[in-house]
Amino acid sequence: MTQIPDPFKEAKEKGPVLAAEFDGETIPMILKLKDVRAAAKDWETYSSDAPRRVPIPAEENVRTVRQYPLEVDPPEHTAYRKLVEPFFQRPKQPDVKAKIEALIGRLLSDALNRESIDIIHDFAIPLQSHALTYLLNVDEKEAELWISWGIHVFKDGDGESKGPFMEQYSERMFREAEANPGDDFFSVLNAAEVDGRKLTMQEKLGYANIAFAGGRDTIIHTATRIIHYFAQNPKALHCVREHPQMVNTAAEEFFRMFIPLTHLGRVCPHATDVHGHRVEAGGRVSLCWSSANRDPDVFEEPNEVKLDRKPNPHISFGFGVHNCLGAHHARAIMRGLITQLGERVSHIEIQESRELVENEAAYDRMVGYELLTARFTGLPSA
Amino acid sequence: MPNITFVTADGKRQTVEATAENVMEVAQEHGIPGIDGDCGGVCSCSTCHVKVDEPWVGRLPPAEDLESDTLSFADDVCHCSRLSCQIPVTEELDGLVVHVPPPA
Ligand code: HEM
Ligand code: FES
Repeated sequence: MTQIPDPFKEAKEKGPVLAAEFDGETIPMILKLKDVRAAAKDWETYSSDAPRRVPIPAEENVRTVRQYPLEVDPPEHTAYRKLVEPFFQRPKQPDVKAKIEALIGRLLSDALNRESIDIIHDFAIPLQSHALTYLLNVDEKEAELWISWGIHVFKDGDGESKGPFMEQYSERMFREAEANPGDDFFSVLNAAEVDGRKLTMQEKLGYANIAFAGGRDTIIHTATRIIHYFAQNPKALHCVREHPQMVNTAAEEFFRMFIPLTHLGRVCPHATDVHGHRVEAGGRVSLCWSSANRDPDVFEEPNEVKLDRKPNPHISFGFGVHNCLGAHHARAIMRGLITQLGERVSHIEIQESRELVENEAAYDRMVGYELLTARFTGLPSA
Repeated sequence: MPNITFVTADGKRQTVEATAENVMEVAQEHGIPGIDGDCGGVCSCSTCHVKVDEPWVGRLPPAEDLESDTLSFADDVCHCSRLSCQIPVTEELDGLVVHVPPPA
């Protein structure tokens, strides 16, 4: 059985909150599942009306826009979210699902034909970028540029944030769509209205920003870690091959364990007592999804991967009004990936790997890989 | 095989033979609209919310804590509300009527 360490295990044993420092700001992190859920529902006490400050650390230096609908509270949030909901539902359509499956099939064929594959750059990033073109309903060739943005638009690679490129690119796409409208994400937002008025360019850029940035490292890391897990646990690969109906519980268990997003913030509009920690008006708290997902009061053997875990009330996609719009997309991709790995791959041998660790003053948490190369061996029939 | 009746938001009644493991899966097998079952039945998403017909409220095995907590995610919850993925199909369910809430 594979144990995956929980960096918040000891903190959870001591109490429901870990007071952690981020860039000189002390932020109480809420650690238990029930408490995180309660806070996520209570948007009046724990507000998302905090442009560029919902992520921790804040993103004030890497983007200029407020993200929609992430950084808005009800009641305004409802209308903002409705505008883009139809796009995020697309991965539930059979034709879109089929495109995602065909994409995974192509990438796997390519992997099986090589002696060595760079899982991040030649599998997970192309998977994420091409699949996003189906969600946004744009030409698939746009993915080529997005692929060059690396794992994390704001943090990755050569040390240079790709945030400004992404904002310029998005603005160009909105302008082009204005000249040449269609039924893509950019055209639909150009035509959309809130409160009887058109959206401003800043608002439209805010929608594009989270679609490109939020939906990126999350998908890339989850896919990469699933592949790594099957490489280390050939029996699990055998198991999903023998029991293909396990795909749904397996995917949910991977979402629980491998959640790339450690936590997100909220701002307290008023001074608030957070389980014994005082937060001043305007101060932040953290909803620690990744710790809640390992709550021993809820999950039996919380640090063990159990592909048939049921119930599995994880909150990898958040909880309450802001629950992840990209969840259908993430589920379609990971279910497709697990199924096809089972059907076509006999084993995976890791060649080189380097973990990507989020180093903070209060904890170090492994979120994915910055390097992962492997060799895939196909099943005789595949 | 027990029979279960789904009453959808438009008032349509559909009675089906329940062969699946739980009520959410029964709904999916028969394409009942409004029971999405996004998480596949692991009690994580609440998109399988139904309201059981009043006389059935006390006859079903009661909701566990986890279920009630996940349920609080759904809109318009009342004392008849359940997550249909957490209602296992048994012979005792024969004649069960559940109402599918309208989309949010
Ligand atoms: C495994 C993959 C993913 C994980 C773990 C994840 C996680 C989350 C979480 C925890 C939230 C809640 C935010 C909050 O309460 O403040 C969220 C919201 C959101 N996610 Fe995801 N996400 C994933 C994939 C995606 C993808 C692929 C997209 C877009 C293509 C996306 C777009 C969004 C958006 C737009 C919101 C804001 C919803 C709102 O505020 O109403 N996510 N996500
Ligand atoms: S199907 Fe997700 S909670 Fe029932």
